[in-house]
Amino acid sequence: MTIAAVGCAAALAASGQLPGAEAVYASAPPRLLQIRTLLAGAGQQTSNGSAFLVSADGLAITNYHVVSQVVLEPNTYRLEYTAADGARGDVRLLGVDLPNDLAILRIDRQEAPYFTFDPAAIRGDLAKGERLYAMGNPLDLGFTIVEGTYNGLVEHSYNDRIHFTGALNPGMSGGPAVTADGKIAGVNVATRRGGQLVSFLVPARFADALLQEVRDRETTPDLRAEIGRQISQWRSALYKSFAAQGFRSTALGPYRGPEAAAPWLSCWAQTNAGAAPKPRFNMNSTSCASETSLFIAPDLTTGNIQINNYYVRTAELNQFQFATYLTQLSQARLLVGGPYRKWYMPERCHEDFVGGAAEPDRPSLRVLWCAQAYREFEGLYDVALIAVTQDDDKEALVSRLSLQAVGYEDAMTLGRRFLDAVRMSK
Amino acid sequence: MIWVEILSRHRDVAARVGVAANEVCIGRAYDNDVVVDDPYVAARHLRVLRNDAGELVAEDLGSTNGTFLDGSRDRITRLVVDGKQSLRIGQTFLRVRARDYAVEPERIVPAERRALPTVLVVALAVMVLAFVLLRIWLAQTGEPRLSNYVTPLLSSGGLLLVWVGVWALLSRILAGRSHFLRNSLIALVGLLAALIYNEFARYAAFGLTWPAASNYEYAAGWSILAAACFLHLREISTKGLWLKGTIVAVILVLAIGVQTMQRSEAFSDLGRQNTTRLLLPPAFRAVPLRAPDAFFADVAGLKASIDADRRQARPGDAAR
Repeated sequence: MTIAAVGCAAALAASGQLPGAEAVYASAPPRLLQIRTLLAGAGQQTSNGSAFLVSADGLAITNYHVVSQVVLEPNTYRLEYTAADGARGDVRLLGVDLPNDLAILRIDRQEAPYFTFDPAAIRGDLAKGERLYAMGNPLDLGFTIVEGTYNGLVEHSYNDRIHFTGALNPGMSGGPAVTADGKIAGVNVATRRGGQLVSFLVPARFADALLQEVRDRETTPDLRAEIGRQISQWRSALYKSFAAQGFRSTALGPYRGPEAAAPWLSCWAQTNAGAAPKPRFNMNSTSCASETSLFIAPDLTTGNIQINNYYVRTAELNQFQFATYLTQLSQARLLVGGPYRKWYMPERCHEDFVGGAAEPDRPSLRVLWCAQAYREFEGLYDVALIAVTQDDDKEALVSRLSLQAVGYEDAMTLGRRFLDAVRMSK
Repeated sequence: MIWVEILSRHRDVAARVGVAANEVCIGRAYDNDVVVDDPYVAARHLRVLRNDAGELVAEDLGSTNGTFLDGSRDRITRLVVDGKQSLRIGQTFLRVRARDYAVEPERIVPAERRALPTVLVVALAVMVLAFVLLRIWLAQTGEPRLSNYVTPLLSSGGLLLVWVGVWALLSRILAGRSHFLRNSLIALVGLLAALIYNEFARYAAFGLTWPAASNYEYAAGWSILAAACFLHLREISTKGLWLKGTIVAVILVLAIGVQTMQRSEAFSDLGRQNTTRLLLPPAFRAVPLRAPDAFFADVAGLKASIDADRRQARPGDAAR
């Protein structure tokens, strides 16, 4: 019955007569859930999101960020689901995939209709331009369906994300995005701030993989420890990939500054040439930022990489004034992912003059290294490395490498190669 | 001839009465030779006469409140006075001197020394001014503006004047002389010392890669301030220098302690030292360049202290 209806809807959608949204809308509600995070003591809701059933025995998929508070502070928060028919009940967390922002839940509901995965979506060969329907419960307003298009995977992103042209709103997180025949193509995850209708989905294959993993597992692990493990696994893969790509150098005045070679960093250039009032120095800068931010808790997002190069040259300022300006430019600012007292340990720094022994194209440098550890996660650090060239008193290159959520050894290896990439061009 | 001098609370002469007799009576009643308007003084309080040896002798005439040597609590009835020590009757201080009292030799007018402090103060003021202006100039990286120079100069100049003025006023009230030039000298030397220390600390932090002088600059600043306060107090009077020194030292220790506490609390709130990492022109580097290997060996050493911090904060983790 269901299959026939879906097949019919697909055929109608293909012929362009009946909008696919209506058929999808008709069959979806019993498969959807609203997930609320409640204060364990008070029973008041602190946040809500969507989820969808993927098995007859009550397994459901949502976003990690919808349930993060319960994972991190299980004594303070608990979860509750609301189904389309108004039924409510407790939710058990079975597994999380932090890098892909996914979580598997179990609710006490048997014989309920559920979504299945689209095989093409799992293989990753959906056709660009295909219609997708994202569903959820935006802003707690009630069940909503949003029609949009599949645009393939997002470029310059380390984690695979589907670029979906449609308006995802808060509260739709964790809902499914389905094809016209009602099969899962992805999981709603985020909207790009500042863009219109630019939204992201987690590809279906990650959800499928996590579901298999949870099914094969007999006991539920300590999810809080699991998160620590996933973060460190994710970051070691991230920094391995970053290190494998290495740094390429970009010419800035007489210097060559390091830039990221990895495709998932986007780089921009800036100059102060047109500034008014006319500045007393010329500055050309490049900055590369990664699209690798990782949601860990509502107040902690980390995992970004930034590379900045500032080439400054002056004819007007004297050498002391120039040094004053370089001082302002080279302060150690670690990228901040969340409130310090809750997530971080105190920062410690080391500063010195560094020079290559025999290589003539290596400028002498003033180098500052600052690092701070994460309170909760062992072996995880935020690091900033700043190098200022010391070969001339009227021009300099200030290069800065900021790494979030990195292992100390990885950071040192990258730092070494970063300093190595600061060169004089012939 | 016997001279009786009524003294102020600061032991300056407030009134001087010469009596052409060999005996002088002092008291509140009008039949005395010297009349004292002090309700705590007896009508006939004190008699001064010459003994056989020709010395002056003060004799209490049986007053209720008694007669004392200045600074002493022992009541006296009869005492040979030397003209140097003052006596107290009631709440009045007085001094009795004979006509043949040997005064100190005439002081020489310090003609050159008077000019010297003025020249010194002006020279120092010009130096400090030039120093401050130079520093402001060397820190300018934006559009040149006159107000960048004028505002700090006027405010710091005003502060200096107020500081010197307060000390001069205190000195004037307590010691009778304001010593304006000397107080200015002390303040200017203190300011110059602070400026020079700051330059040294900046140089050490960059050129020698030794940031301690810069990190503890606040302690040096308080010490210089304390030393200046001590010298100002010494200008007021050279008495009780040990006591003054101790008080200043205690306040100094307290100030440094409080600021150290504030800084450590700010550090635990923010997780970073509130210090600027200074750069100077490359020519100021005074230590040799280090090889990248050596630098990263130090950086690796930093990990140990970061991890130690973390273990201390979460003792449970060490066992895991």
